[in-house]
Amino acid sequence: MSDTSTIDQPIGGLMEGITDAFNASAVEAVSGGEPAWLANRRTEAWSAYERTPLPTTRLEEWRYTNLRKLLKLDRLGFDGVSLDAAVATGSDAEPFDLAGAPEALRAAMEADHAASGHVVEIDGRIVHVDLDPELASQGVVLTSLRRAVADHPDALDRHLATDALPASRGKFQALNAALWTDGVFLHVPKGVRLELPVRVTRYLTKPGTAFFNRTLILADAASQVSFVDEGLSADFAEQTLFSSAVEVIANDGAQVQYVSLQRMGRGVFHLQQQRTLAGRDSTLDTLNVALGASVARTDLNARLLGPGANSDMLGLCFGEQGQHFDHNTSQDHVAPHAKSDLLYKGALDGNARSVFRGIIKVHKNAQQTDAYQTNRNLLLSEHARADSLPNLEIEADDVKCSHGATVGQLDQEHLFYLMSRGLSRDRAERLVVLGFLGEVLSRLPLGGVVEKVTRIIEERLQHG
Amino acid sequence: MSDTPILSIRDLTAKVADEDVDILKGVDLDLFKGEIHAIMGPNGSGKSTLAKVLAGHPGYEVTGGTVTFHGDDISELEPDERSQAGIFLAFQYPVEIPGVSIANFLRTALQARLEEGEELDLFDFQDELMARMEMLEMDPSFAERPVNDGFSGGEKKRNEILQLAMLRPSLALMDETDSGLDIDALQVVSRGINRLHEENPDMTVLIITHYQRLLNFIKPDKVHVMLNGRIVRSGGADVALELEEGGYEDYRTAEAEAIAEAEAEAQEA
Repeated sequence: MSDTSTIDQPIGGLMEGITDAFNASAVEAVSGGEPAWLANRRTEAWSAYERTPLPTTRLEEWRYTNLRKLLKLDRLGFDGVSLDAAVATGSDAEPFDLAGAPEALRAAMEADHAASGHVVEIDGRIVHVDLDPELASQGVVLTSLRRAVADHPDALDRHLATDALPASRGKFQALNAALWTDGVFLHVPKGVRLELPVRVTRYLTKPGTAFFNRTLILADAASQVSFVDEGLSADFAEQTLFSSAVEVIANDGAQVQYVSLQRMGRGVFHLQQQRTLAGRDSTLDTLNVALGASVARTDLNARLLGPGANSDMLGLCFGEQGQHFDHNTSQDHVAPHAKSDLLYKGALDGNARSVFRGIIKVHKNAQQTDAYQTNRNLLLSEHARADSLPNLEIEADDVKCSHGATVGQLDQEHLFYLMSRGLSRDRAERLVVLGFLGEVLSRLPLGGVVEKVTRIIEERLQHG
Repeated sequence: MSDTPILSIRDLTAKVADEDVDILKGVDLDLFKGEIHAIMGPNGSGKSTLAKVLAGHPGYEVTGGTVTFHGDDISELEPDERSQAGIFLAFQYPVEIPGVSIANFLRTALQARLEEGEELDLFDFQDELMARMEMLEMDPSFAERPVNDGFSGGEKKRNEILQLAMLRPSLALMDETDSGLDIDALQVVSRGINRLHEENPDMTVLIITHYQRLLNFIKPDKVHVMLNGRIVRSGGADVALELEEGGYEDYRTAEAEAIAEAEAEAQEA
């Protein structure tokens, strides 16, 4: 390719992804009125973004997800300015009018079981927060990130895009850290236990736009909390980018469960970056359920930082025609005597594709590590495809580690067995698929999630 | 006993779907309402193939002959249609289905038998399931365990009888239900079958077995000996005792002589 033909498309990797919507003035606009520490952090993140080339398929982590084909950054709009105006949370907010909300959002919320608190985000802006007053009186903080900038600057200065997901971790981590418009801040003080989950529902209405949100969960020593993060939208004809950065920090002895339930419509490119930091004797479990979007990429890095830390890492995807899922996980054992157990499963119909790349990394001092990784895929059509890349990188010598991956089709003997009891082929297939995926859900049975996901998959299998 | 058999098999030949040689080489058999039959035969005689062919296993292909059930030709029916029509196959090797609980599976199977718009009564279902599990000396917690997942051989076979009890077929094909069972489990399983037959004397039972010992507990009306894809002898319960003493060797010798004779005749012609 000659260099005369690409004047407006910089080559060589530098300055990639700078567009009419994503540029330095967008960063300036979105940080208007923010304290210096935050404005600086955004500017630094932006320069990291500028410096970092767009990942290519030559990188192991992006081998099967070709961003040049799948993501049209230059066609996306970004609307950071108007969000600056309204900070609507807590008691001073306009009461959120659930009756006036889009039907899909309403249905998602009405189906929810009891919760310790709710957050509603529409088009990257938090429109509603409520929290059990009893928990608020015990010091629990659940608020929009924008509001937390004003009310909890010390915690954010210390933890937002620093320990867990700094801009330096990659191109999109940097973009999110530079352009986030809002998000959720949850702080559970020492020893406080939330019986019911915190539920976040995010909804997109604007096609052709990019949305950036962040979530920061701080669980102090011996606290307990579960967090269900559900995202949905209509189907869009124009590509829409939904970027979520999730940082979860569990201090000594804390028990945290984070569940992401991704139900975005077609046309959405979902980019989800998660990092979990598990302290001494903490339990930090995650469940990623990917059902929607056209392209959904999840990076999950679980760091086991304290001895005795324990992370169950669960995931499932169910894909149909035109869907592409990419899960990139790492189990990062820094401290000795910690355990991580990963199980990701995918069922793929039509021409759906999934990629799983997982690495277990055991650092030199992390003796007595238990780390397991399993990825299983079920292809429901001859056009579906699953690629699995399990990996081990072990520097300690006294560890128990295993990894395994399978890709298979529906077992005809299973179907015959069920059909011989009178189930039609369709119903037998549905039962086998639900059983296959249900094994993941049953490991983290948070109130309502199992039923909700089962129902969604069942409906989709019925229509398929 | 009525004059027309509920199951009538005529000159049935069948093979493994992607192979050439027939395993069933002309089977004839009539089962009448409420009868208990046993088919005995050595490994490889085709008796398990017969059970699978009757249930509609997609891995086998019927190459000739007819199978009529309640007067209808069933050879084109899918396995689920045969089940709905009243045929039940208790598997020799029950399949493990991860993530699908027995209760859920049986509920779905029973719901599938109802007319469109009809709903299974879940309370009645639960009551019956618990009663049947008690009859088979199964722990109630089994209901919520995935089908056969991690079950012992005996637990799997009890689970087959549980399904038989819940689905109430008019024809039960018991494929080597006795294999892999210790004497206690064998007694529980055969008591279960006898009990179900007492409750529903119209249920026809076809027991397929290698050994005579199951027939110490379940008394058959007729016993057939299968060898090399054909039924070579049929008679009363005493046939099983003959086998106990003489084994299959006598039949093998007789058959070998018959084949040699036929070949000799063919050469002469």
